[in-house]
Amino acid sequence: MSIFGKFAALTDRYDRLREVGADPFAVKFDDIVSSVEGVVNGKRTLLFGTNNYLGLTFDEAAKERSIDAIRRHGTGTTGSRIANGSYKGHQELERELADFYGHKHCMVFSTGYQANLGMISTLVGKDDHLFLDADSHASIYDGSRLGHAPVVRFRHNNPDDLAKRLKRLSDQPGDKLIVVEGIYSMLGDTAPLKEFVDVKREFGAYLMVDEAHSMGVLGRHGRGLAEREGVEDDVDFVVGTFSKSLASVGGFCVSSLDGFEILRLASRPYMFTASLPPAIISSTLSALRTLRAEPQRRDKLAANSQRFYAGLRNAGFHVGPECSPIVAVIIDQPEIAVAFWKRLLEEGMYLNLALPPATPNSSAFLRSSVSAAHSDEHIDFAIALMTRIGREFGLLPAENNVCPFPAVAVSAERLGATAAIARALPPAVGAGAGMA
Amino acid sequence: MNEDKGQLIADIEDVLETVINRRVELRTEMNIVNDLGLDSIAVMNFCMALEDKFDISIPLHDMASVVTVDDLAKTIETLRSNA
Repeated sequence: MSIFGKFAALTDRYDRLREVGADPFAVKFDDIVSSVEGVVNGKRTLLFGTNNYLGLTFDEAAKERSIDAIRRHGTGTTGSRIANGSYKGHQELERELADFYGHKHCMVFSTGYQANLGMISTLVGKDDHLFLDADSHASIYDGSRLGHAPVVRFRHNNPDDLAKRLKRLSDQPGDKLIVVEGIYSMLGDTAPLKEFVDVKREFGAYLMVDEAHSMGVLGRHGRGLAEREGVEDDVDFVVGTFSKSLASVGGFCVSSLDGFEILRLASRPYMFTASLPPAIISSTLSALRTLRAEPQRRDKLAANSQRFYAGLRNAGFHVGPECSPIVAVIIDQPEIAVAFWKRLLEEGMYLNLALPPATPNSSAFLRSSVSAAHSDEHIDFAIALMTRIGREFGLLPAENNVCPFPAVAVSAERLGATAAIARALPPAVGAGAGMA
Repeated sequence: MNEDKGQLIADIEDVLETVINRRVELRTEMNIVNDLGLDSIAVMNFCMALEDKFDISIPLHDMASVVTVDDLAKTIETLRSNA
């Protein structure tokens, strides 16, 4: 038995997945040619699985600033901020992020994953309590494992369930930290943040919101779900990432709580890792300025999201509960989802395949993320292709039941009209309120 | 097994059924992960359902030290008596 023997069950599952002839965890791009196009197996492929919400990975200003930063300041910092010091760029980015959120403090981390690891593992200790949404991202769970606070899970997006669990521990001393996400990365649903704020106030807890997928997407200024819901003053910590709307890599936390800065000497995932190199800091700063200066990108993203979400729903697919740039088609049988995903790639469309246990309820998701850089033609192509393949697999009703493209209003009789699950909003609310 | 413990195990069986959608007759020496075939997510969901059944709080690190059904019963008994 080798040291890898403990992975036998995982190896077995992976082998069975690859027997279908698909390996969704090892896609090889020959090239990436724009924010929304790549080349796979020599074929031009439309990218619908990038989280590149504002389409800024090829932004001219960001590229130029990044190249200039390398010329002036070199390729790397070769160490951590506490050992090798902070460059001007690190300080400038932290100031601008704090300014963007209207907060006093900001810490930049080397990845979004580390931002959650660094904050969650440090803010609460063994005498405190940590309350996590059951569907939290892996980085939130891993942060809870790195730290020493007892962890209590509550049911996904359920403020009453959270209140019940806080109540059980209400006579316990110590601080209580609640962690939720702005937009959940698998289904694209948002947290009921106002209700969570009520619970937080009732029990005197602290609230952290991970706006990784909602920064640049939600709120009038793009600050995320807390801005859209009008509760920014009640969110004690906002965590986010540079690897989605800001089109680079890295993470951050902003807060206005006094005493925050001591975390630079307490948070190990901040202290013991190399800081971000000048090229990344510079392109991120540029993207942040673009995010603030060009709200039309958010409008285009919202319109694209609505077009794609409504198109797939009207075609009869079972989609997530609300419209957001994350559009998931839910497929009950994972093996069909794998084959479907493979067909899409062969036909020139790339999206993410999410399989259990990374998904709730042991179903599989064909998980797309829409970009402001997608054109209407890109989106219509994707809807038409997914519909055609959906019919091939018998997931959609017969051809004459599927609406023509571009999508028209769906009738109540149509099978797909009831496909969106419980919390589905009327189209007008899904688009307007979700993206405004 | 005394009467209280028997009732506790029966209650745990009820909770488990809501999580895995099948009835399993539990024996105290059963290994929760291996014998019941629960993955890590199912264990966490089981934990959440137990919290609600017994109106207690079982932090995840307490659950980590639970290996057998007997461990689980003892943990629940301890948490209930502290409540």
